[in-house]
Amino acid sequence: MNTLSTRVFATAIAVACFCAASAGKALADETCNSPYTSRLIKGQEHYLHVWTLGVKGIGDGSDKLVTIDADPASKTYGKVIHTLSVGGRGEAHHMGFTDDRKYLWAGRLDDSRIFVFDVGSNPAKPRLVNTIKDFQAKTRYVGPHTFYALPGRMMVQALSNGKDHGGATGIAVYGNQGKLVSTYDMPKSMKEIGGGDGYGYDIGINPQKNAMLTSSFTGWTNYMMDLGVLIKDANAMKNFGATMALWDLKAMRPSKVFDVPGAPLEIRWSLNGGDNWAITATALTSKLWLVNQDAAGQWQARDVATIGDPAKIPLPVDISITADGKGLWVNTFMDGKTRYFDLSNPEAPKQTYEKVTGKQVNMVSQSWDGKRVYITSSLLANWDKKSTDDEQFLRAFDWDGKELKQVFEVDFYKLKLGRAHHMKFSAKAAATAALDAAPARVATAAR
Amino acid sequence: MKQLWREVGCMLALVAGMPLAQAQLQSKAPAQDFVAPAPGSYALPPIQPAADGWVLEGNGLPRRLSRYTHGALTLLSFVYTYCTDPIGCPLAYATFDTIKRRVLADPVLRGRVRLVSLSFDPVNDTPDAMRIYGGEHALGADLPWHFLTTYSTRFLKPILDDFGQDVDIELDAKGAPTRARAHLLKVFLLDRNGQVREIYSSAFLHPDVILNDMRTLALESTGQALAKLPPQK
Repeated sequence: MNTLSTRVFATAIAVACFCAASAGKALADETCNSPYTSRLIKGQEHYLHVWTLGVKGIGDGSDKLVTIDADPASKTYGKVIHTLSVGGRGEAHHMGFTDDRKYLWAGRLDDSRIFVFDVGSNPAKPRLVNTIKDFQAKTRYVGPHTFYALPGRMMVQALSNGKDHGGATGIAVYGNQGKLVSTYDMPKSMKEIGGGDGYGYDIGINPQKNAMLTSSFTGWTNYMMDLGVLIKDANAMKNFGATMALWDLKAMRPSKVFDVPGAPLEIRWSLNGGDNWAITATALTSKLWLVNQDAAGQWQARDVATIGDPAKIPLPVDISITADGKGLWVNTFMDGKTRYFDLSNPEAPKQTYEKVTGKQVNMVSQSWDGKRVYITSSLLANWDKKSTDDEQFLRAFDWDGKELKQVFEVDFYKLKLGRAHHMKFSAKAAATAALDAAPARVATAAR
Repeated sequence: MKQLWREVGCMLALVAGMPLAQAQLQSKAPAQDFVAPAPGSYALPPIQPAADGWVLEGNGLPRRLSRYTHGALTLLSFVYTYCTDPIGCPLAYATFDTIKRRVLADPVLRGRVRLVSLSFDPVNDTPDAMRIYGGEHALGADLPWHFLTTYSTRFLKPILDDFGQDVDIELDAKGAPTRARAHLLKVFLLDRNGQVREIYSSAFLHPDVILNDMRTLALESTGQALAKLPPQK
């Protein structure tokens, strides 16, 4: 019996040790996604998925999901390894992972279609598994822009509405299986909480505070207009968002509206533990705004820094915060610059670096460790520059804290792909298999 | 010999329970730096119907899962008994334990709430293993807390898929399947009609919020009698 006990104990210890090695979960994603998205890539990303606008006369002319090999150890590093055309051109724009990171939702701002790609089964070869065609019919909103995961659901922030194609819009919540759950209009003229213009753009959630922030851009009429025409149209230029809203996330109810003039766009909460502030950039006024609580615990939004020379309208279009909340990349579309701000004191960000990374630059994304930075070129089909200034690319850079060094480029025109817009990272599956791989013995067999 | 292996199984479970208990102690609810909105001051739109299928409990007789997802406010999560991730199954277990104690002290919710823990692993988590895992909770003397498993992965997978619960099998260095599961913790709150009304993950698993969500659903039933749950069998 002693021998048996020894054997049992040894087995039990082995079991216990083995269990301790089970996989952990992540509460946050690579610096910019929903805090509910799992499977954080803290090491080397292997693939970049680029949501690409089709261009008439270039390749098949269709919007497509382009997958690029980003693994330096791979033979196809820096090359396009897969394309998936979805048919038509509908102003492909942004994407977001589901909470389990198995699916990637991607939206089109013109025809309001939403495409759901399976990127979990084989991230090297995404598959289109669902197309939601009735977004406008079901929600009354137009232009599904931001895709932000909630547990088991996807929150979709729209830009416009089907009634007048202006900026009044809302948020739609879908179940992960694609069924519409609920809709929420953006706050408009709600005097009791500070007003509101009804516009929407991005979403940022802080679960610890039950706080959701939203920002505001412009409606279909403006974002589908030629940029040169738009800038000269004084009336149209009045139709841009000038607010951010704080929401009670649990109740999905706006609780405070902040005046943030000049179209506040991407929202990034600091991911540094204990921080409870968020930052955004205003496209038209070229400012960084900080949202945090004052000494009395009241949420406030304040202009804390200037990006370039606002008189020249550099048009900051995307930001990417470092994982420790100490730095911020800012892309300015018009001058093609990528700028780095020191956020050690978020009350007073300071620009410490800038580099022209393209003739036009839009999205900027960084790896969790901050060592790699990726940049794409397209803003909107009708806002992109013309002629030789209309470069379309994804460029990859290494960042050593001092200098951005380009390590590869994918020329989206040369490869007849289209306009490169939003990008997301994925990684080869860890050492896992589908549930079907488990032994098929029945539970009662051991009894 | 059968009796011997039963004892061996129990000893294994007990010893294996050491790190589990440690993990449960170490599991930490996510920080909640806010006051949960008042019950009834917000809505919980139906997200999806609860999945159904055949499950096993205690005596091993197959039963429909719908028996455990209808007729009461139900908090359900998927677990496996040897999971030690402090923000995985042990967090779910600890949260359920907290919810149980607070429901029992709540005159509105007492008698109207059930808890369900359904295993990810039909191979190792036998009905007996689940009963041992549940301990005195599995007796359901004061509040029904069901510790369920399934007959095989063929029965489990459709339930997981319908709930939208991901899980993968971790492989060893040689690429062979192991016992460990990689999954995202999700806890489902179901109304009396078996509709999923809220889904919590480890970043949002606040007992105050869960209890107010339950009270919100209970308030929806105002005007219709809230049936008390029958004793657990």
